[in-house]
Amino acid sequence: MNFETMISQMTGGMTETIGIFAWTLVFSLPFGLLIAFGRMSKYKWLSTIVKLYISIMRGTPLMLQLLVVFFGPYYLFRISMGGSWRFISIIIGFTLNYGAYFAEIFRSGIESMPIGQYEAAKLLGYSRIQTFFMIIFPQVIKRILPAMANEIITLVKDTSLAFSIAYMEMFTIAKQIAAANTTFVPFVIAAVFYYVFNLLVAGVIGLMEKKLNYYH
Amino acid sequence: MCVAVVGAMIPMGVLAEERTTFRVGFDAEYPPYGYMDENGEYVGFDLDLAQAVCDLQGWELVKVPINWDSKDMELNSGSIDCIWSGFTINGREDDYTWSVPYVDNSQVVVVSKASGIETLEDLSGKRVGVQAASAALQVLQDEEQQKDLADTFATLQEFGDYNSAFVELQAGSIDAIAMDVGVANYQLTNRDNGDDFMVLEESLNSEQYGIGFRLGDTELCDQVNAALEQLVEDGTVAELAEKYDLSDMVCLDEQFGEATTAEAAE
Repeated sequence: MNFETMISQMTGGMTETIGIFAWTLVFSLPFGLLIAFGRMSKYKWLSTIVKLYISIMRGTPLMLQLLVVFFGPYYLFRISMGGSWRFISIIIGFTLNYGAYFAEIFRSGIESMPIGQYEAAKLLGYSRIQTFFMIIFPQVIKRILPAMANEIITLVKDTSLAFSIAYMEMFTIAKQIAAANTTFVPFVIAAVFYYVFNLLVAGVIGLMEKKLNYYH
Repeated sequence: MCVAVVGAMIPMGVLAEERTTFRVGFDAEYPPYGYMDENGEYVGFDLDLAQAVCDLQGWELVKVPINWDSKDMELNSGSIDCIWSGFTINGREDDYTWSVPYVDNSQVVVVSKASGIETLEDLSGKRVGVQAASAALQVLQDEEQQKDLADTFATLQEFGDYNSAFVELQAGSIDAIAMDVGVANYQLTNRDNGDDFMVLEESLNSEQYGIGFRLGDTELCDQVNAALEQLVEDGTVAELAEKYDLSDMVCLDEQFGEATTAEAAE
């Protein structure tokens, strides 16, 4: 098999990889913020539950979590899920896991904001919601971007864990091509793809940081 | 999305009276039985045969690549109807409802021609590689089979995939690799330096491949068996065996020969 054929076969897998990455971000960022609020809640019962949730999500392997989400409906409720469940369960698994990590990053940012800003905003007549979304949150984003970049870059590479439930993302396909053609070349292509993808991600986050320099 | 609620112990096949699809679970890293071809299509002896069965029965074939480690979960949860992927019956007789055996397989040892190793005895004191969780490893660990032989090895090195194993063999960090004969032939034919290696004449064991259905799913199993019998008669099986260079190993014609004799005896 020549090089071009390999690339063209892997292109389909790259689309799937980017799909996992994008959908996970779309769902796990807002979900993570929600979890962060729960974690900081003044209600003890809520913050305890959320703490336990974060602890489990961070303390067990993502690969195992994907297996649980995918096979769980059958083993717990005897429900056989249909065709698109393989993809949906991956997005659910990644969102639950990454939401927990993002939550802690959001919390670190939110808790680092000085109390004086809340008091000043209150004096100026801002409501609590206005204070958070117009004054606090933009500064939080600025502060947590480097930590976020770490996590998002890890997400790009973690998409390959979808192989554990046989989802045909790029790395799974690379392994299949390598086996059928007795060659390591697909892995080199995969490495280059991940690296370029992460260069782009790091570049975009770098641009965002520049934009937010306004806050200093 | 099709959501079917089934009772705890009822196999799905019992409910699926008007079957329209046939979902085959296979390992897509297992040439020549199932793998990805130049066009990105999943092909192989097993998948082509499954296609022929579906054409006969009027089913739509759905090829589901699975992760080999979770094959039982895939089967039990109903995301596949059977495991059809160079699947060894021996040692798993009671775990699945098996089709008739369709391939006579054996576990063999591949060595470098230059190594001077010619018999299994020559492997004494050598470093032997074997794929993790493979049938070959099972044979080498079973006291009733080849554990005595394995005990003479210097080490039994487990590895993940055949590419790495062959690179190690070439580099001399291992002296031999134990694997399925079909896989061995594929590797030796398709590797650039395949001529440097050879398969030892003595094999480690002989075993058979079958199609594994959910335990108790005899209805589907019978339908597939019946289709296989027809495909033997019309020559399709022989044709596919020829195509994948497995003619020496495919044993379906004998199977149905024996089955008919057994029925006659009853």
